[in-house]
Amino acid sequence: MLIKSSDELPRRTLIKRFPVPSNAQVPKEHRIQPGRSWPIPEGAKRLKRLQIYRYAPESGEPPRIDTFAIDRDTCGPMLLDALIKIKDEIDPTLTFRRSCREGVCGSCAMNIDGTNWLACIRGLDELDEPATIYPLNNLGVVRDLVGDQRHAFAQYAAIQPWLQAEAPEDGKEHRQTPEQRQALDGYYECILCFCCTSGCPSHWWNGDRFLGPAVLLQAWRFLADSRDQATGERLDELEDPFRLYRCHTILNCTRTCPKGLNPGKAIAEIKRKMIARQS
Amino acid sequence: MKNPSRPLSPHVQVYRPQLTSVLSFSHRLSGLFLSLGAVLLVAWLLAAVTEAHAFVAINGWLGSPLGLLLLFVWTLALFFHLCNGIRHLLWDAVLGFELKSIYLSGWIVVFSSVGLTLVTWALALWQAG
Repeated sequence: MLIKSSDELPRRTLIKRFPVPSNAQVPKEHRIQPGRSWPIPEGAKRLKRLQIYRYAPESGEPPRIDTFAIDRDTCGPMLLDALIKIKDEIDPTLTFRRSCREGVCGSCAMNIDGTNWLACIRGLDELDEPATIYPLNNLGVVRDLVGDQRHAFAQYAAIQPWLQAEAPEDGKEHRQTPEQRQALDGYYECILCFCCTSGCPSHWWNGDRFLGPAVLLQAWRFLADSRDQATGERLDELEDPFRLYRCHTILNCTRTCPKGLNPGKAIAEIKRKMIARQS
Repeated sequence: MKNPSRPLSPHVQVYRPQLTSVLSFSHRLSGLFLSLGAVLLVAWLLAAVTEAHAFVAINGWLGSPLGLLLLFVWTLALFFHLCNGIRHLLWDAVLGFELKSIYLSGWIVVFSSVGLTLVTWALALWQAG
Protein backbone atom coordinates (compact mmCIF):
# COMPACT_ATOMS: atom_id res chain seq x y z
CA MET A 1 0.00 0.00 0.00
CA LEU A 2 2.83 2.38 0.88
CA ILE A 3 4.91 3.23 -2.16
CA LYS A 4 8.45 4.27 -1.26
CA SER A 5 9.99 4.79 -4.68
CA SER A 6 8.63 5.26 -8.17
CA ASP A 7 10.03 1.93 -9.46
CA GLU A 8 7.71 -0.03 -7.15
CA LEU A 9 4.83 -1.69 -8.94
CA PRO A 10 1.33 -1.39 -7.53
CA ARG A 11 0.88 -4.42 -5.30
CA ARG A 12 -2.88 -4.47 -5.36
CA THR A 13 -5.29 -2.48 -7.48
CA LEU A 14 -9.03 -2.45 -6.88
CA ILE A 15 -9.72 -1.23 -10.39
CA LYS A 16 -7.31 -1.24 -13.30
CA ARG A 17 -9.04 1.56 -15.20
CA PHE A 18 -11.14 4.52 -14.23
CA PRO A 19 -14.84 3.85 -14.82
CA VAL A 20 -15.08 6.15 -17.85
CA PRO A 21 -16.38 5.24 -21.30
CA SER A 22 -13.33 4.18 -23.30
CA ASN A 23 -14.45 6.15 -26.35
CA ALA A 24 -15.53 9.36 -24.62
CA GLN A 25 -14.86 12.30 -26.94
CA VAL A 26 -13.07 10.05 -29.42
CA PRO A 27 -14.14 10.59 -33.07
CA LYS A 28 -15.52 7.48 -34.71
CA GLU A 29 -12.59 6.94 -37.05
CA HIS A 30 -10.14 6.93 -34.12
CA ARG A 31 -11.92 4.46 -31.81
CA ILE A 32 -9.70 1.57 -30.83
CA GLN A 33 -10.75 -1.73 -32.42
CA PRO A 34 -9.81 -5.29 -31.48
CA GLY A 35 -6.80 -6.24 -33.62
CA ARG A 36 -5.24 -9.50 -34.72
CA SER A 37 -3.68 -12.22 -32.59
CA TRP A 38 -0.28 -13.12 -33.95
CA PRO A 39 0.79 -16.82 -34.00
CA ILE A 40 2.09 -18.28 -30.75
CA PRO A 41 5.73 -19.46 -31.10
CA GLU A 42 5.92 -23.23 -31.36
CA GLY A 43 7.38 -25.25 -28.50
CA ALA A 44 7.61 -22.27 -26.18
CA LYS A 45 7.66 -23.22 -22.50
CA ARG A 46 7.50 -19.73 -21.00
CA LEU A 47 5.05 -17.60 -22.96
CA LYS A 48 4.62 -13.88 -22.47
CA ARG A 49 1.66 -12.22 -24.11
CA LEU A 50 1.72 -8.53 -24.99
CA GLN A 51 -1.28 -6.49 -26.09
CA ILE A 52 0.09 -3.59 -28.09
CA TYR A 53 -1.58 -0.47 -29.48
CA ARG A 54 -1.18 -0.31 -33.24
CA TYR A 55 -1.91 2.51 -35.65
CA ALA A 56 -0.81 2.97 -39.23
CA PRO A 57 -1.87 6.31 -40.70
CA GLU A 58 -1.70 5.24 -44.36
CA SER A 59 -4.02 2.24 -43.79
CA GLY A 60 -7.02 4.51 -43.26
CA GLU A 61 -8.07 2.13 -40.46
CA PRO A 62 -8.69 3.05 -36.82
CA PRO A 63 -6.15 2.12 -34.12
CA ARG A 64 -6.28 -1.49 -32.90
CA ILE A 65 -4.89 -3.67 -30.12
CA ASP A 66 -2.77 -6.58 -31.42
CA THR A 67 -1.84 -9.53 -29.24
CA PHE A 68 1.68 -10.91 -29.58
CA ALA A 69 3.17 -13.92 -27.80
CA ILE A 70 6.89 -14.42 -27.30
CA ASP A 71 9.01 -17.25 -25.93
CA ARG A 72 10.78 -15.88 -22.86
CA ASP A 73 13.49 -18.55 -23.09
CA THR A 74 14.75 -16.97 -26.30
CA CYS A 75 14.18 -13.34 -25.29
CA GLY A 76 16.13 -10.83 -23.24
CA PRO A 77 14.84 -9.88 -19.80
CA MET A 78 13.34 -6.46 -20.52
CA LEU A 79 10.19 -5.24 -22.25
CA LEU A 80 12.34 -3.47 -24.84
CA ASP A 81 14.02 -6.80 -25.64
CA ALA A 82 10.57 -8.27 -26.29
CA LEU A 83 9.55 -5.35 -28.54
CA ILE A 84 12.78 -5.68 -30.55
CA LYS A 85 12.22 -9.44 -30.79
CA ILE A 86 8.69 -8.88 -32.11
CA LYS A 87 10.01 -6.40 -34.69
CA ASP A 88 12.80 -8.82 -35.71
CA GLU A 89 10.86 -12.06 -35.84
CA ILE A 90 7.11 -11.48 -35.93
CA ASP A 91 6.05 -8.11 -37.34
CA PRO A 92 8.74 -5.81 -38.78
CA THR A 93 6.24 -2.96 -39.04
CA LEU A 94 5.92 -2.58 -35.24
CA THR A 95 7.18 0.93 -34.60
CA PHE A 96 8.63 2.39 -31.40
CA ARG A 97 11.43 4.73 -30.33
CA ARG A 98 14.48 3.34 -28.60
CA SER A 99 18.14 4.14 -28.28
CA CYS A 100 20.31 3.60 -25.21
CA ARG A 101 18.52 0.53 -23.73
CA GLU A 102 19.67 1.48 -20.23
CA GLY A 103 17.27 4.15 -18.96
CA VAL A 104 19.41 7.14 -19.92
CA CYS A 105 17.95 8.51 -23.15
CA GLY A 106 14.22 8.42 -22.41
CA SER A 107 13.25 7.39 -25.95
CA CYS A 108 11.30 4.22 -25.12
CA ALA A 109 8.88 5.86 -22.67
CA MET A 110 5.44 4.30 -23.04
CA ASN A 111 2.32 3.44 -21.10
CA ILE A 112 3.02 -0.02 -19.67
CA ASP A 113 0.20 -1.79 -17.79
CA GLY A 114 -1.42 1.59 -17.22
CA THR A 115 1.53 3.63 -15.96
CA ASN A 116 4.31 5.39 -17.79
CA TRP A 117 7.81 3.95 -17.67
CA LEU A 118 10.77 3.19 -19.92
CA ALA A 119 10.47 -0.12 -21.77
CA CYS A 120 14.23 -0.76 -21.41
CA ILE A 121 14.17 -0.77 -17.60
CA ARG A 122 10.89 -2.61 -17.09
CA GLY A 123 11.44 -6.38 -16.70
CA LEU A 124 9.15 -8.81 -18.49
CA ASP A 125 8.52 -10.61 -15.21
CA GLU A 126 7.22 -7.34 -13.73
CA LEU A 127 4.39 -7.17 -16.28
CA ASP A 128 0.77 -8.24 -16.11
CA GLU A 129 -0.28 -11.30 -18.12
CA PRO A 130 -1.14 -10.26 -20.73
CA ALA A 131 0.73 -6.96 -20.55
CA THR A 132 -0.86 -3.90 -22.14
CA ILE A 133 1.33 -1.43 -23.99
CA TYR A 134 0.09 1.95 -25.19
CA PRO A 135 1.99 4.99 -26.47
CA LEU A 136 2.57 7.83 -23.99
CA ASN A 137 -0.79 9.39 -23.17
CA ASN A 138 -2.41 12.42 -24.73
CA LEU A 139 -0.17 12.69 -27.79
CA GLY A 140 -1.11 12.59 -31.45
CA VAL A 141 -0.07 9.12 -32.60
CA VAL A 142 2.39 9.15 -35.49
CA ARG A 143 2.51 5.35 -35.74
CA ASP A 144 2.06 2.51 -33.22
CA LEU A 145 3.92 3.51 -30.04
CA VAL A 146 5.40 6.73 -31.43
CA GLY A 147 3.68 9.88 -30.21
CA ASP A 148 4.07 13.38 -31.63
CA GLN A 149 6.11 15.30 -29.03
CA ARG A 150 6.40 18.60 -30.90
CA HIS A 151 4.02 20.33 -28.49
CA ALA A 152 5.95 19.01 -25.47
CA PHE A 153 9.25 20.31 -26.85
CA ALA A 154 7.68 23.64 -27.85
CA GLN A 155 6.58 24.02 -24.21
CA TYR A 156 10.12 23.12 -23.13
CA ALA A 157 11.57 25.80 -25.43
CA ALA A 158 9.07 28.32 -24.00
CA ILE A 159 10.78 28.30 -20.58
CA GLN A 160 14.16 29.12 -22.19
CA PRO A 161 16.02 26.14 -20.76
CA TRP A 162 19.51 27.58 -20.80
CA LEU A 163 21.64 29.51 -18.34
CA GLN A 164 21.03 33.26 -18.64
CA ALA A 165 23.83 35.25 -17.05
CA GLU A 166 26.25 38.07 -17.74
CA ALA A 167 29.80 36.95 -18.43
CA PRO A 168 31.71 36.43 -15.15
CA GLU A 169 34.06 39.23 -14.11
CA ASP A 170 37.20 37.17 -14.52
CA GLY A 171 36.04 36.18 -18.00
CA LYS A 172 36.47 32.52 -17.14
CA GLU A 173 33.68 30.73 -15.30
CA HIS A 174 30.72 31.08 -12.95
CA ARG A 175 31.72 29.78 -9.55
CA GLN A 176 29.41 27.81 -7.31
CA THR A 177 29.81 26.56 -3.76
CA PRO A 178 29.13 22.85 -3.20
CA GLU A 179 25.87 23.84 -1.46
CA GLN A 180 24.75 25.95 -4.43
CA ARG A 181 25.54 23.06 -6.74
CA GLN A 182 23.60 20.71 -4.48
CA ALA A 183 20.44 22.79 -4.98
CA LEU A 184 20.27 21.33 -8.51
CA ASP A 185 20.36 17.70 -7.37
CA GLY A 186 17.14 15.91 -8.21
CA TYR A 187 16.36 18.43 -10.96
CA TYR A 188 19.23 18.39 -13.45
CA GLU A 189 18.94 14.60 -13.98
CA CYS A 190 15.69 14.84 -15.96
CA ILE A 191 15.99 13.00 -19.30
CA LEU A 192 12.87 14.57 -20.89
CA CYS A 193 11.09 11.28 -21.47
CA PHE A 194 7.77 13.04 -20.68
CA CYS A 195 6.43 10.08 -18.68
CA CYS A 196 5.25 12.59 -16.03
CA THR A 197 3.63 15.13 -18.35
CA SER A 198 1.82 12.35 -20.22
CA GLY A 199 0.56 10.89 -16.94
CA CYS A 200 -0.68 14.23 -15.55
CA PRO A 201 -4.51 14.54 -15.54
CA SER A 202 -4.24 18.33 -15.46
CA HIS A 203 -2.14 18.20 -18.63
CA TRP A 204 -4.73 15.90 -20.24
CA TRP A 205 -7.46 18.51 -19.76
CA ASN A 206 -5.41 21.72 -20.20
CA GLY A 207 -2.23 20.63 -21.96
CA ASP A 208 -2.56 23.36 -24.58
CA ARG A 209 -1.73 26.02 -21.97
CA PHE A 210 -0.53 24.21 -18.82
CA LEU A 211 3.19 23.53 -19.15
CA GLY A 212 3.11 20.16 -17.38
CA PRO A 213 5.45 18.61 -14.80
CA ALA A 214 8.46 17.86 -17.04
CA VAL A 215 8.77 21.42 -18.31
CA LEU A 216 8.06 22.99 -14.90
CA LEU A 217 10.75 20.80 -13.33
CA GLN A 218 13.14 22.17 -15.93
CA ALA A 219 11.93 25.69 -15.13
CA TRP A 220 12.78 25.11 -11.47
CA ARG A 221 16.18 23.68 -12.44
CA PHE A 222 17.12 27.14 -13.80
CA LEU A 223 15.34 29.08 -11.04
CA ALA A 224 17.33 27.08 -8.48
CA ASP A 225 20.65 27.68 -10.23
CA SER A 226 22.76 30.23 -8.34
CA ARG A 227 24.47 31.24 -11.61
CA ASP A 228 21.26 32.15 -13.44
CA GLN A 229 20.38 35.86 -13.43
CA ALA A 230 16.97 35.78 -15.14
CA THR A 231 14.93 34.67 -12.12
CA GLY A 232 12.53 37.63 -12.27
CA GLU A 233 11.80 37.27 -15.98
CA ARG A 234 11.39 33.50 -15.60
CA LEU A 235 8.85 33.95 -12.81
CA ASP A 236 7.02 36.64 -14.82
CA GLU A 237 6.62 34.16 -17.68
CA LEU A 238 5.29 31.46 -15.36
CA GLU A 239 2.88 33.67 -13.40
CA ASP A 240 -0.26 32.62 -15.22
CA PRO A 241 -3.43 30.79 -14.20
CA PHE A 242 -2.63 28.07 -16.71
CA ARG A 243 1.13 27.78 -17.31
CA LEU A 244 1.96 27.11 -13.65
CA TYR A 245 -1.21 27.13 -11.60
CA ARG A 246 -3.06 24.36 -13.43
CA CYS A 247 -0.91 22.07 -11.29
CA HIS A 248 -3.30 20.79 -8.62
CA THR A 249 -0.67 18.68 -6.85
CA ILE A 250 -2.13 15.40 -8.09
CA LEU A 251 1.40 13.96 -8.00
CA ASN A 252 1.02 11.28 -10.66
CA CYS A 253 4.28 12.83 -11.91
CA THR A 254 6.34 11.95 -8.84
CA ARG A 255 4.77 8.46 -8.78
CA THR A 256 5.77 7.71 -12.37
CA CYS A 257 9.21 9.32 -12.89
CA PRO A 258 11.58 6.57 -14.13
CA LYS A 259 14.55 8.54 -12.80
CA GLY A 260 13.01 8.86 -9.33
CA LEU A 261 12.85 12.66 -9.55
CA ASN A 262 10.17 14.82 -7.94
CA PRO A 263 8.43 17.17 -10.42
CA GLY A 264 5.63 17.78 -7.89
CA LYS A 265 8.11 19.17 -5.39
CA ALA A 266 9.81 21.31 -8.06
CA ILE A 267 6.44 22.90 -8.93
CA ALA A 268 5.70 23.55 -5.24
CA GLU A 269 9.11 25.27 -4.99
CA ILE A 270 8.18 27.53 -7.93
CA LYS A 271 4.82 28.37 -6.33
CA ARG A 272 6.55 29.22 -3.04
CA LYS A 273 9.10 31.41 -4.81
CA MET A 274 6.23 33.17 -6.58
CA ILE A 275 4.61 33.97 -3.20
CA ALA A 276 7.93 34.93 -1.60
CA ARG A 277 8.65 37.62 -4.16
CA GLN A 278 5.24 39.24 -3.55
CA SER A 279 5.83 39.76 0.15
CA MET B 1 -1.37 17.46 -28.92
CA LYS B 2 -4.69 17.59 -30.71
CA ASN B 3 -4.41 17.11 -34.41
CA PRO B 4 -7.65 16.03 -36.05
CA SER B 5 -5.91 13.82 -38.59
CA ARG B 6 -4.14 11.78 -35.92
CA PRO B 7 -5.73 9.73 -33.15
CA LEU B 8 -4.97 11.01 -29.66
CA SER B 9 -3.32 8.32 -27.55
CA PRO B 10 -5.72 7.31 -24.75
CA HIS B 11 -5.12 8.85 -21.31
CA VAL B 12 -7.79 8.64 -18.61
CA GLN B 13 -9.21 5.62 -20.45
CA VAL B 14 -6.04 3.54 -19.88
CA TYR B 15 -4.08 5.18 -17.04
CA ARG B 16 -4.09 3.07 -13.89
CA PRO B 17 -5.92 4.61 -10.91
CA GLN B 18 -3.43 5.33 -8.13
CA LEU B 19 -3.79 6.81 -4.65
CA THR B 20 -2.40 10.10 -6.02
CA SER B 21 -5.00 10.59 -8.76
CA VAL B 22 -7.90 8.92 -6.93
CA LEU B 23 -7.56 11.23 -3.91
CA SER B 24 -7.19 14.27 -6.16
CA PHE B 25 -10.34 13.43 -8.12
CA SER B 26 -12.13 12.66 -4.83
CA HIS B 27 -11.09 16.04 -3.45
CA ARG B 28 -12.74 17.78 -6.36
CA LEU B 29 -15.86 15.57 -6.26
CA SER B 30 -16.27 16.02 -2.50
CA GLY B 31 -15.92 19.79 -2.95
CA LEU B 32 -18.65 19.74 -5.59
CA PHE B 33 -20.88 17.61 -3.38
CA LEU B 34 -20.27 19.91 -0.39
CA SER B 35 -21.35 22.97 -2.38
CA LEU B 36 -24.66 21.18 -3.07
CA GLY B 37 -24.85 20.53 0.66
CA ALA B 38 -24.31 24.23 1.32
CA VAL B 39 -27.43 24.99 -0.74
CA LEU B 40 -29.40 22.52 1.36
CA LEU B 41 -28.01 24.03 4.58
CA VAL B 42 -29.18 27.48 3.49
CA ALA B 43 -32.61 26.12 2.57
CA TRP B 44 -32.85 24.39 5.96
CA LEU B 45 -31.90 27.55 7.89
CA LEU B 46 -34.20 29.69 5.73
CA ALA B 47 -37.09 27.32 6.39
CA ALA B 48 -36.32 27.34 10.12
CA VAL B 49 -36.75 31.12 10.36
CA THR B 50 -39.66 31.54 7.93
CA GLU B 51 -41.93 28.60 7.23
CA ALA B 52 -42.66 26.18 10.07
CA HIS B 53 -44.33 23.57 7.84
CA ALA B 54 -41.47 23.74 5.30
CA PHE B 55 -39.01 23.19 8.15
CA VAL B 56 -40.98 20.16 9.30
CA ALA B 57 -41.06 18.84 5.74
CA ILE B 58 -37.29 19.23 5.26
CA ASN B 59 -36.59 17.59 8.61
CA GLY B 60 -38.89 14.75 7.71
CA TRP B 61 -37.13 14.25 4.41
CA LEU B 62 -33.68 14.38 6.06
CA GLY B 63 -34.84 11.76 8.56
CA SER B 64 -35.87 9.35 5.81
CA PRO B 65 -33.45 6.58 4.77
CA LEU B 66 -32.41 8.50 1.64
CA GLY B 67 -31.96 11.72 3.65
CA LEU B 68 -29.86 9.95 6.26
CA LEU B 69 -27.72 8.34 3.55
CA LEU B 70 -27.14 11.73 1.92
CA LEU B 71 -26.26 13.28 5.27
CA PHE B 72 -23.82 10.43 5.93
CA VAL B 73 -22.11 10.95 2.56
CA TRP B 74 -22.03 14.72 3.23
CA THR B 75 -20.31 14.10 6.55
CA LEU B 76 -17.76 11.86 4.84
CA ALA B 77 -17.23 14.45 2.10
CA LEU B 78 -16.75 17.17 4.71
CA PHE B 79 -14.14 15.27 6.71
CA PHE B 80 -12.35 14.04 3.59
CA HIS B 81 -12.19 17.54 2.12
CA LEU B 82 -10.98 18.91 5.47
CA CYS B 83 -8.26 16.30 5.98
CA ASN B 84 -7.08 16.37 2.37
CA GLY B 85 -7.17 20.18 2.50
CA ILE B 86 -4.70 20.11 5.39
CA ARG B 87 -2.53 17.78 3.27
CA HIS B 88 -2.64 20.36 0.47
CA LEU B 89 -1.70 23.16 2.89
CA LEU B 90 1.39 21.18 3.92
CA TRP B 91 2.28 20.71 0.26
CA ASP B 92 1.92 24.46 -0.31
CA ALA B 93 4.61 24.85 2.35
CA VAL B 94 6.72 22.34 0.32
CA LEU B 95 6.41 19.71 3.07
CA GLY B 96 5.84 15.98 2.64
CA PHE B 97 6.80 15.58 -1.00
CA GLU B 98 8.83 12.38 -0.71
CA LEU B 99 6.88 9.58 -2.38
CA LYS B 100 6.68 7.70 0.92
CA SER B 101 5.20 10.79 2.65
CA ILE B 102 2.74 11.32 -0.21
CA TYR B 103 1.41 7.80 0.22
CA LEU B 104 1.51 7.85 4.02
CA SER B 105 -0.38 11.17 4.25
CA GLY B 106 -2.82 9.88 1.62
CA TRP B 107 -3.71 6.82 3.67
CA ILE B 108 -3.88 8.91 6.85
CA VAL B 109 -6.45 11.13 5.09
CA VAL B 110 -8.48 8.09 3.98
CA PHE B 111 -8.56 6.44 7.40
CA SER B 112 -9.00 9.60 9.47
CA SER B 113 -11.89 10.90 7.33
CA VAL B 114 -13.70 7.56 7.57
CA GLY B 115 -12.93 7.37 11.31
CA LEU B 116 -14.12 10.93 12.02
CA THR B 117 -17.33 10.27 10.07
CA LEU B 118 -18.07 7.11 12.04
CA VAL B 119 -17.33 8.80 15.38
CA THR B 120 -19.55 11.76 14.47
CA TRP B 121 -22.44 9.51 13.52
CA ALA B 122 -21.98 7.31 16.59
CA LEU B 123 -22.15 10.44 18.78
CA ALA B 124 -25.15 11.81 16.86
CA LEU B 125 -27.09 8.55 17.10
CA TRP B 126 -26.17 8.18 20.79
CA GLN B 127 -27.39 11.73 21.45
CA ALA B 128 -30.61 11.02 19.54
CA GLY B 129 -31.02 8.05 21.88
